[in-house]
Amino acid sequence: MCPLAPSDQLLVTRIRNGEPEAWNELIARFEGRLLAFVEGRLGRRTAGEDVVQETFLGFLTSLPNFEDSRPLESYLFSIAAHKLTDHLRREGRRPTLPMAVGSSSSQWEPPDSARPVSSLMRSGERKHLEEDAMVAALADQIERLRGRGEWDKLACLELLFVRGWANRNVAAELGMTEQRVANFKFEFIARLRTLVKKQGLPEDVFPELHEE
Amino acid sequence: MAHKLTHADLEAYLDEALPVEAMAAIEAALRADAKLVQQLAAINGRRDAGVHSLGEIWRRHRLSCPAREQLGNYLLGVLDNDAAGFVKFHLEVSGCRTCLANLDDLKTRNTLSPDVVDGRRKKYFQSSAGHLSSRR
Repeated sequence: MCPLAPSDQLLVTRIRNGEPEAWNELIARFEGRLLAFVEGRLGRRTAGEDVVQETFLGFLTSLPNFEDSRPLESYLFSIAAHKLTDHLRREGRRPTLPMAVGSSSSQWEPPDSARPVSSLMRSGERKHLEEDAMVAALADQIERLRGRGEWDKLACLELLFVRGWANRNVAAELGMTEQRVANFKFEFIARLRTLVKKQGLPEDVFPELHEE
Repeated sequence: MAHKLTHADLEAYLDEALPVEAMAAIEAALRADAKLVQQLAAINGRRDAGVHSLGEIWRRHRLSCPAREQLGNYLLGVLDNDAAGFVKFHLEVSGCRTCLANLDDLKTRNTLSPDVVDGRRKKYFQSSAGHLSSRR
């Protein structure tokens, strides 16, 4: 897992203590990349700035729920993605779908906004624990590949799992044989499966580990 | 290389994680394809039910993303060939949206007028600092 860096942790603590300088520092550090993230989708600078503004507000209101196990930058990008999605929905560019618990922007709302403690929330906690365990397992394997300089293998796994490409497309893109791609995939999944078993995690919530 | 939309692409679409062009292409497809809307709704349903996807976890936690410093070094051309090759792949083939945003920001950072940037930051600060002081 990539926990919160010590310098970020200190910054968050100072913001929690209400230090305006710390808040200014966070804005200065992250606003440019957040604006670049949203602006490409909106095509208009003013609208992009509005979404970034909402992102920073969302960060402050969700601070009590922010977990130090999560990198600050990823957290801010997640909020920006939700705010951008909301903006695009309002503009009619994104269809409205049945909302999922994990994809609801309600987690960025103030903690006292009368959100009932429900079984959904409890299952959310369990889901977090499962996810944290999987993050640790994935990060461990990815770091090992980086350390060994096995960049081709890492690229292969990224296309297979993050982009969901079929073996033959990955093989064609990376100039590998399909057999080699299949071997990487098999080995990777086998390790993750072992970990899931070892940690006593429910197997049915990670269906990809059991697909043929 | 052109690919059919994958399940992972749709998950990434829901998370605003695909490159801008791919996001726009899916939005265009959604207007004409009710089945695609159903597929997205089904993904939301699986998430509600607590089912995990490895790609979603990998992407959300940015597990193979280069650090911002590495992106800076990539721009400066001082990364070793293998590491630079992976960064290029991650940006151009994998199309990591957050890394593309970071790269964009690094590229333009020194070209913007300091007045414009300061004005923007001041606006963000002034519109949010009230929420900050209420926590003291």
